[in-house]
This record gives sequence, structure tokens and C-alpha cells, in this order.
Amino acid sequence: MRRLIGHATLALVSMVTAACATAMSVSSHVDREVDFSRYQTFDWGPADALPTGDPRLDANPFFKDHLQGEVEKQLAARGFTLAQTGAADLLVHYHAHISERIDVASVDKTYGYGGEVRDYEAGTIVIDVVDARTNKVIWRGWAQDAVKGMLDNQDTMAAKVNEAVTRMLARLPARTAGAAQR
Amino acid sequence: MTRLGRWMTVGTLAGVALTSLACAAPIRVEAYAERGAKLARYRTFAFAPVEAAATGDPRLDSNPFFIQRVQAAVDRGLTDKGYRRDTSGAPDMIVHFHASVAQDIDVVAIDRTAGYCAQTDDCRPFVYDAGTLLMDLVDAQTKRLAWRGWAKTNLDGVVDNQTWLEQRVDTAVGRIVARMPRAGGN
Repeated sequence: MRRLIGHATLALVSMVTAACATAMSVSSHVDREVDFSRYQTFDWGPADALPTGDPRLDANPFFKDHLQGEVEKQLAARGFTLAQTGAADLLVHYHAHISERIDVASVDKTYGYGGEVRDYEAGTIVIDVVDARTNKVIWRGWAQDAVKGMLDNQDTMAAKVNEAVTRMLARLPARTAGAAQR
Repeated sequence: MTRLGRWMTVGTLAGVALTSLACAAPIRVEAYAERGAKLARYRTFAFAPVEAAATGDPRLDSNPFFIQRVQAAVDRGLTDKGYRRDTSGAPDMIVHFHASVAQDIDVVAIDRTAGYCAQTDDCRPFVYDAGTLLMDLVDAQTKRLAWRGWAKTNLDGVVDNQTWLEQRVDTAVGRIVARMPRAGGN
């Protein structure tokens, strides 16, 4: 019984931790009234004017190219086509942001894993999907993670961007049910 | 149900409750009326254009789902107070709101004072995302602030869950607007 209670306690701690803090957190907001099956094509919208908060990401062609390539790949997997000619149904924007944050690992400390206060750089990628006709954002996804070791290592950056985009766009309602499961 | 099954049920329920507790937090609301402001005169309102200023949290910057939810809650709250949404182009007051998010540190002062931390270090300070939603009512003629209210709360885990964010916005706006006098000063 004592072992069972121990497992239950660990499971509870895991649930709370998972609910409020994970390594890479990914989520989204959606316009629940929109029927995504009516959109077929997408294109890139104009970049926003918000600062990234870090000059290493400003005008970074590797980051931009890799992110855009991965977004196009994941949108295609969900049944959307990059518009070749004419106006697209959807416009996609992205925004990247880095900020300094502090963290106190209280759960870890309880179990003797350390628990010191640390500061770190947190990166956020936000992707907006806009209805090109109404110019309204119908979906926003984001991924947040520590960026240590990412900005100065293109392989790590590519892997992180891939994970972020894949997990974000997995939350985008698919154009067709079949595409969602591919 | 076996004993293990009962334990798993209890564990699951406790987990859900703990998760809710961990991600729900009290909302502190305050407000003041500008000295000399004649709030009783106001009957109609309109929203100021939404500013594109950074909130401190890129998930909420220019987030239309968040903005629309706040506007709808303000609209509902002011209507319940007897104010009307202006349709003539000449409102009595302009509603402006701004959200900001910043990390804050809680030193768990109450627990420490009450002696709950005597044998463990569970009451160490913790860091959380503190969100502040500020609502200004500006006199449409003089352009001077007439009333300001704000709500501050722990947003950890809230922005990532659209339903939780909507509930938190509704509660925060409802409590801010509750501090306002009714239209006509009744």
C-alpha cells in the first residue's frame, strides 16, 4: 500500500508539473466558429513589426528559411496547398520572441534534485493563420522553450524548430479528416 | 471495484483537483475614480482602437481571441450596469484596456508566518506569470481619465488553455466592472 501511495504521489506531482510547466510547451487558440474545411490554399503574409527581443534572431536567414520550410511541410500534411498563382485562402504569419526569465524548480527540490533559482532565455514562436478574405486571425499557435544551445548551433535550432512547428500545427484543425491523420 | 481501482479513482480525482488548484488562482481587483470625475453623467460608451503594444507575453500580443473576449465581457458588464454601447459616434466615455504579463515572485509569506514551514522547505519562494488587465474609462469630451480599474492574477497554465483564459477574463472583467457605479449613479 505504501508503494501504491508513493506511486500515486509521484503521478500527482507529474500531473501538476505537466499542467503548469513542461520542457517545450505548445498550445493554441482557435476561432471555434470557423469551418477549416473551406480553405484550400495558403501563402505567407507580411511580417509583423514586433521586435524579437534578441538581435541574434533578427534577420536570421537560417531560422527564417527553416521555419518557413517546416510550416509549409506541416500545412501540406494537413491538406493545405501553397498558393502558386492568385490569391490564397489563408495567410500565415509568424513571430519569434526571446525574453529573459527566472525559474525556481520547487518540485525538483522537494525530491532532492537541486532546486536553485536560475535565469534562462525563453524563446517563443507564434504562428497566426489569417482568413485572407476577412483579414481575421482564425488560429494562433505557439511553442515556448529555453533557447540555450540553439542560437549558436544550427542543427539544434533545426531540431527545435521542427519539433515546435510540428507540435503547433498538429493542433491546427485539418482541412480534411484524412489529412489530419497522415 | 477492487481496492486498486478505488485508489486509482481517488488518485485521478485528486490529480484533477490538484491540477485545478495549481492553475487557478485568486484575482485581486482594485479601482479608483479620478478626483472630480462626474461618472453619474455618463450613459454611453465606445471602445478605443486596440493598441498594438506588447503585453510582455508574445502569446497575448495582438491576440484577437483574447481581445474579443475582453471586449465582449466589458460590453456585457457595462450593459448590465445600465450603460449603452454608443451607435451615434458621440459616446460619453471611451473604454480603453491594456493587458500586461510579467514574472512575479511569491514568497509565501502567510504560510511562513503561520508556521507551516517549520519542518520542510516547501514554502520557498516561487516564480509565476502575473497578468494585469487594466481598464480605463476616459471622458470622450475632455479626453481625461475618469475611472481606472484593474485585476491582477496568476496566469500560470492559463494562457495555454483557451477555455481557462476565457473564464479568467470573464471573471476579471466582471469584478472590475462591479467596482463601477451604475449608469446615472444609482
